Amino acid sequence: MAEAAARSTAVLRGRHDFPEISGRIGAIVLDGRLPRHFWTAFFFCFLLVLVFLYSITYLISVGVGAYGIDIPVAWGTMISNFVWWIGIGHAGTLISAVLLLLRQPWRASINRFAEAMTLFAVAMAGLFPILHLGRPWFFYWLLPLPNTHMHWPQWRSPLVWDFAAISTYATVSLLFWYMGLLPDLAVLRDRAKSRAGQLFYGILALGWRGSAFHWARYQTVYFLMAALATPLVVSVHSIVALDFTFAITPGYHSTIFPPYFVAGALLSGFAMVLTIAIPLRWAFSVEDLITLKHMDNAGKLMIAAGMIVIYGYASEAFFAWYSGEPYERAMMWQRAFGPYAPLFWVMLACNCGALQLLWFRRVRLNMPLLFAIALVINIGMWLERYIIVVTGPSRDYLPSSWGEQSLTWLDFGILFGSVGTFFALVFLFIRILPAITIFEVEELAEEKAQAT
Amino acid sequence: MSLHGIIAVFADPEALTEAACTMRARGYRRMDAFSPFSVRGLAEILGMPKSRLPWVVLGGGILGAVLVYALILYSVEIDYPVNVGGRPLHSWPAFAVIAFEAAILGAALAGFVGMLSANRLPRYYHPVFNAGSFSYARGGKFYLFIEAADPKFRKGVTKGQLTRLGAQSVEEVEA
Repeated sequence: MAEAAARSTAVLRGRHDFPEISGRIGAIVLDGRLPRHFWTAFFFCFLLVLVFLYSITYLISVGVGAYGIDIPVAWGTMISNFVWWIGIGHAGTLISAVLLLLRQPWRASINRFAEAMTLFAVAMAGLFPILHLGRPWFFYWLLPLPNTHMHWPQWRSPLVWDFAAISTYATVSLLFWYMGLLPDLAVLRDRAKSRAGQLFYGILALGWRGSAFHWARYQTVYFLMAALATPLVVSVHSIVALDFTFAITPGYHSTIFPPYFVAGALLSGFAMVLTIAIPLRWAFSVEDLITLKHMDNAGKLMIAAGMIVIYGYASEAFFAWYSGEPYERAMMWQRAFGPYAPLFWVMLACNCGALQLLWFRRVRLNMPLLFAIALVINIGMWLERYIIVVTGPSRDYLPSSWGEQSLTWLDFGILFGSVGTFFALVFLFIRILPAITIFEVEELAEEKAQAT
Repeated sequence: MSLHGIIAVFADPEALTEAACTMRARGYRRMDAFSPFSVRGLAEILGMPKSRLPWVVLGGGILGAVLVYALILYSVEIDYPVNVGGRPLHSWPAFAVIAFEAAILGAALAGFVGMLSANRLPRYYHPVFNAGSFSYARGGKFYLFIEAADPKFRKGVTKGQLTRLGAQSVEEVEA
């Protein structure tokens, strides 16, 4: 019994020799014979891509009034989508960088798609602040470019910091991901049978041949990049939080925001990792590479991040009361019992209630249930961001200027469109690039063979 | 077609490390090894000096931060100073945030470009791919390569030495 339990939670299950690993992972890409349900799912995502394109076109041609925002609540779903997506990206960096620095062997088979998830989530996130602009085509004014009207960006504004942070984060994530891919692209180059495949992977592999000198430099820089990415993640989401806290609006102006946002980012990010990993390991029968151990650990990290988020909720409510500020108190009361109260209680049910199930090992090892919890937390975290964005401005200092916004079809078109586009990109990534890191799994198999 | 060197195939990383150690002790200096994943300590055995890449990364980080901070200072102090209620033009806490992001960006770019250029990548052609026994993709094979330009290199002798070290196969590689 104990032995069976140990087997079910091993990082790598069964015996593997190297040709088998590189062959199996490579075949997903090179044979191109993906199961029918893969393409069916891709088709539905692609429909959502079309919805996304239509919605964006509509938004740009009609103007920002076409979705829910209104005065006084001039920040709406574009901002909450932005925070939600950027948060999802952070778990990918945590898995690939922080777990690398901590030398956790269980990251090896999931870091590649976690990094890809980061990249696509950041790509989605980057769109929203631009769509939020009244005139999106002027977004480049945030850059310090020489121009005829002698504009400089306002360096003291968190919105400009945000621009710097997101573009840095996207670039560093891309470099880190591509660097991790290099050795595997060389494997695909040498395994590809078609001329087009050899050319495609050959050009991307940059002539990698696994020389010992190359590996030594590669490892040095890869670790340094991980060490750079770790503070970067924290800084990016702290800056996202500063977008709110720099305003004196009740409900925004709070010092707990940066750490609480970072924890929220990890919670929603791990929920998204599970949302992708559980179907992936089932659809491609890689349950021996992405094992129950991974699922178990991701569940534990979710509960850890989730408890910090709950502490954030409690601290926010407590200090609203303890500050003695009538505006803060009114805002908090209105958040729980005002017009947005149903969303608030659903959010608490998702992020505080459903989360508690993860304390149980049986739940963490039950894939359908874990998948359901991950979806519920994804929804809860989106609601959290929406509540933070709208409840503050809807109940600020003057009761005469109180007001609400409600969602229109365009809010949903853009939100679900972005979700579909994200998954369409994930599907294309699985089709074109190795979703599991070949060389690290081989290294793991070698270490395991030595140990036995 | 000139002889570029000799490549020997080993079954596992330990055999490769041992062979590299022995050949190094015999005075071979121009060697290279190929493996499907990083084998710890192999590069040092083959005589790789301590990498200067960490300094390149540090330099990239400092350069990024200094450049961006200088740009901000130029814009607020010289090009377009705006006095808002007598607040200082040089509000360093706000500027440090962007400088920090620039430091990370500069360091990461320097690391990536530095790694590629130190490794002489991207490279279009390399003689090792001429070896019939060389297959990076198959995995599970570990190669020791000895250049013909090595002062100790004698074709027959070197081949014999490699075979006696337990190589599965030994092959001549054309340039």
